[in-house]
Amino acid sequence: MTNIPTRTPFSKSSGKTYTLVELVHRAPAQMIDHGPENTVFAFPVVALLELLLTLSVSAVLLFMSLTINAPLEEIANPNQTTDPAKAPWYFMGLQEMLEHGHPTLMAVVIPTILVLFTLAIPYIDNDRQGSGRWFTSERGKRIARNTAIYALLVMPAFILLDNSFPPRELLRGVVPDFVAQTLIPGTIMAAIVIAPLLVLRRSKPNAREVVLTLFTLMFVSAIVFTLTGFLFRGPGFELYWPWNMPDGYNPFMNL
Amino acid sequence: MSNLVQTITQSRIWRSFFRHGWPDNPLDRSLVMTSNIFFHLHPVKVNRKSLRATYTFGLGVMAVILFLELTLTGMLLMFYYAPTVERAYTNIVALQTQTPYGQLLRNLHRWGAHLMVLVVVLHMARVFYTGAYKPPREFNWVLGVGLLLLTLGASFTGYLLPWDQLSFWAITVGTSVAGYAPVLGSTAKAYLLGGPEVGQEALTRFYALHVMLIPLGIALITSVHIWRVRKDGGLAANDDR
Repeated sequence: MTNIPTRTPFSKSSGKTYTLVELVHRAPAQMIDHGPENTVFAFPVVALLELLLTLSVSAVLLFMSLTINAPLEEIANPNQTTDPAKAPWYFMGLQEMLEHGHPTLMAVVIPTILVLFTLAIPYIDNDRQGSGRWFTSERGKRIARNTAIYALLVMPAFILLDNSFPPRELLRGVVPDFVAQTLIPGTIMAAIVIAPLLVLRRSKPNAREVVLTLFTLMFVSAIVFTLTGFLFRGPGFELYWPWNMPDGYNPFMNL
Repeated sequence: MSNLVQTITQSRIWRSFFRHGWPDNPLDRSLVMTSNIFFHLHPVKVNRKSLRATYTFGLGVMAVILFLELTLTGMLLMFYYAPTVERAYTNIVALQTQTPYGQLLRNLHRWGAHLMVLVVVLHMARVFYTGAYKPPREFNWVLGVGLLLLTLGASFTGYLLPWDQLSFWAITVGTSVAGYAPVLGSTAKAYLLGGPEVGQEALTRFYALHVMLIPLGIALITSVHIWRVRKDGGLAANDDR
């Protein structure tokens, strides 16, 4: 007992053979200046919140199930195509993309790029700072909002323009199919993605702000394409107002 | 009355099950979490910031709840359903018209599935916009993307099972997309459908994927996903100062 240091950090008692220390590895660590004082016991608070969520989700689901019946059409008949033939709603964005370019580009190359980009997000933006807060900063919030507005304007415009003047049809026989179906739509898509990045570049963004732009563009565009395919495509996969579909077609019957 | 409660809670049977006292003090509140398998993924204490409703909107928990409810209703549906071209459709019609609460059961499973896809997508957006994917949580984000894809797969494979015109043509359209991928596309499509078009082989495979392989994958990866949330210091809300 003689070799105990006389001045022991954290401990006022000279009889203790241990000390309380905090090892900080790869600063800034998360718990520095975050003592246990801002915490509550998980039981019962968290247990009650989870019970409350379970009851609310179940109530919403039960109410939906009591009021709306799941659709069931005639028995499957491979000889009789339905019009329109649509994929489940969450793939309608993909099916809508198929209307605007070569299937390999629209249904394979672009979705693969999007999934790989999504997987890569934490490795592109690997700065520990700025997590745990919506949009990270006021500037981040502005960037997300402006990108969302941009996507909400550009994507519907692209769908409408491409639907009215499809290069695949207009340039058929004039240029090789590869140019009309892959090169032109691919270049337009690339330009739509690069334009906001060029604007952003002038204000020296950090990695978080770059991924905020790209993810928002992807997320809002996915919503636009999904809604277009699901709500606005009627018989013949033509564009109609959802409330004005011919032949009494109702997009919600496809859920 | 209090005598009875005391007799029960001090009986050997009760104490063999609950290894802690009434949770009205710090020690027993800790033991509730650590000695109960259903609670043990939770920390004993949580940061107040991570409980803010407008931070998470409870979306991750909702996804788990919907998955459990889908498992429950799905198992009940399995009692009434045979995945054959001859019987699948008539089974569904019979379930809806002859089984008590059969239509309600199918509705719960159908709308629950759509809600789960929606909730999982929103959960991903929430995690992205709060920057909760940042180190040390990079790999948990990757697991989350995997869970999103598995959720889409679960919903898509289930879509075929009623074997009506809606399912048949939706799956025909959906799988034809896979065929466009160079090299791997036609192979993937052949493995998925087990033949040149949607038929009995496709129904068998979709059924196996839907009731066994994909749910097991979701359960496994969800366990790792939640475990890693704990290991990485709880929700990212704790990091914000």
